[in-house]
Amino acid sequence: MAERRRPAVSAALSGLTLAALVVLVFALPRALPGDPLAALDDPTSGVAITDPELRERVLAHYGLDQPLPEQFAGYVGGLATGDLGWSIARNAPVSGLVAAHLPWTLLLMGPALLLSTAASYVLGILAAWHRGRTGDRVALVGLTALRAIPEYVLATLLLIAFAVLLPVLPVGGARTPFAEHGSGLAALADVGAHLVLPLATLTLSLTATLFLLQRHTVVAVLGADHMLLAEAKGLPLRRRQFVHAGRSALLPLLTAVGLQVAFAAQGAVFVEAVFAYPGMGSLLLEAVAARDYPVLEGAFLVLALVVLAVNLLVDLAARWVDPRSAAS
Amino acid sequence: MSAHPTDAAAPEGGLRALWASPTARVGLGLLGAVALLALLGPLLLAHGPRELVAAPLAPPSAGLPLGANAVGQDLAAQLAAGARTSLAVALLAGAGTVALGGTIGLAAGWFGGTVEAATMRVVDLALVVPRLPLLVLVGAYLGPSTPLIAATISLVFWPGTARIVRAQTRSLRTRAHVRASRGFGAGARHVMRRHLLPELALVLAAALVAAASRAVLLEAGLAFLGLGDPTGASWGRTLRDAIEFSGLFYTPAWQWWLLPPTLAISALLIGLTLTGVGLEGGSNPRTSRHRPGATP
Repeated sequence: MAERRRPAVSAALSGLTLAALVVLVFALPRALPGDPLAALDDPTSGVAITDPELRERVLAHYGLDQPLPEQFAGYVGGLATGDLGWSIARNAPVSGLVAAHLPWTLLLMGPALLLSTAASYVLGILAAWHRGRTGDRVALVGLTALRAIPEYVLATLLLIAFAVLLPVLPVGGARTPFAEHGSGLAALADVGAHLVLPLATLTLSLTATLFLLQRHTVVAVLGADHMLLAEAKGLPLRRRQFVHAGRSALLPLLTAVGLQVAFAAQGAVFVEAVFAYPGMGSLLLEAVAARDYPVLEGAFLVLALVVLAVNLLVDLAARWVDPRSAAS
Repeated sequence: MSAHPTDAAAPEGGLRALWASPTARVGLGLLGAVALLALLGPLLLAHGPRELVAAPLAPPSAGLPLGANAVGQDLAAQLAAGARTSLAVALLAGAGTVALGGTIGLAAGWFGGTVEAATMRVVDLALVVPRLPLLVLVGAYLGPSTPLIAATISLVFWPGTARIVRAQTRSLRTRAHVRASRGFGAGARHVMRRHLLPELALVLAAALVAAASRAVLLEAGLAFLGLGDPTGASWGRTLRDAIEFSGLFYTPAWQWWLLPPTLAISALLIGLTLTGVGLEGGSNPRTSRHRPGATP
């Protein structure tokens, strides 16, 4: 990505993507054979409707007997006011379910993105500086191998290692159920202990990709004139490494972080599944299991919105660190 | 191809270069091992993956090389059947992604102008969409089946391939021999077949390998989440069954239940990654000459 877009263009593109996803979510159940209720026709599911008269009433209740443009207007109008629909399985508003699950996913994704970016920044510079030496080889081979290990496998391995063989951390969940904590601090420590393994899994798998890119970029920067000048001026090693070399590699790194946001969301779904972490991924999977389509669609849209928003933030940050785009 | 001795990136030369790279040889070896497991496993094993053949959690023995799970199914048979599923999805989704992304990228790079601008905007939009949740959503409506999962993965992953192919096509289009061919009156189809496709072969092969590895990861992932083909075997499904068995870690059974599919997925993905690294090295002279420790 050589050219950087203006913030307004980035925002417009994100908005367009979100609009396309809203249309997709609206169209998908309606494009299938039968009506939207056909998805509930599996007799093994607890929400199947077999009585034709009841079926008519349900269709009318949800406005599914109206023309498509009116349905779409109603749907978009609802979304605009924060109405994500009504959960069939739990008989509760989807927005309330999302509000209960979203913070846990943000607690997982946000720190994972920040930590993996910071770790790749430092490790990539050090590996590039000492390229060919043992430390660089170990990091290169180790992280290349790590990149080939899916999040759910890594999560399972960490679970076996640190919660089963060496039981120092909780096996799953976000909090100890029914625990009475004496102080707010103890409750916070409990949340922290439950966060360690999910966060470590997500951070490690994000770091693998970002490290390889950072190392590659810094190797290319090392011979540049300004690096030679910095050395000639007698600047200290750490300053040349982390300020001069690192600064030049920051832009490609941030661009890559932007593309990693979608992978972080994907990883969060897997990690939440392994550790029974009560975030958006768990909500999505419970909705699939219960055939609770309104929750499925609402959770998907909110997750997509989070990814697009974080992506936009990273895009703005990349623009902010690029002096060329600030001048134009 | 023999009429073009200057065709450095011709497929034959590329394959020889691939075999010359030790990285790629390890990768191809791992892929071969998984392929052998998929092809020979079902012939050598006495039981099907779903048959109830042994005592629950039976440890490995002569008849059951990997023991049994909690309902007494042969885990070696599940591993072999899972290898078939993974390789089938890898091939189908890889081919689908490359066909779709390659065609669109080639068209965008060749025609340029509005076609290119419009296509690349769609690619930009598609690249930031969270793929797994989208696959979960589409799978929930269309129903889970292995070919459908492969098709959906192709539909989700073509933009990355299109972007690479378009960049390559743009640079190839301005090369002297392509311009000369156009100058002699060669049609677009002739130029694409004679000049562009041979030079794009390595890029397309690398894209195929990359798409295949993402497909393997996602197929097993969907099965792990309980969203795979309910009638088929999958490494992800074996993993899920193991994780869902609440007493797993109180018995030694996790060693033959959980570990083999974990290692198999990693082996296949590492095999694909290393093959891809070898292919990329062969297709890009700048990275193939790069050695750690060399003066940058």
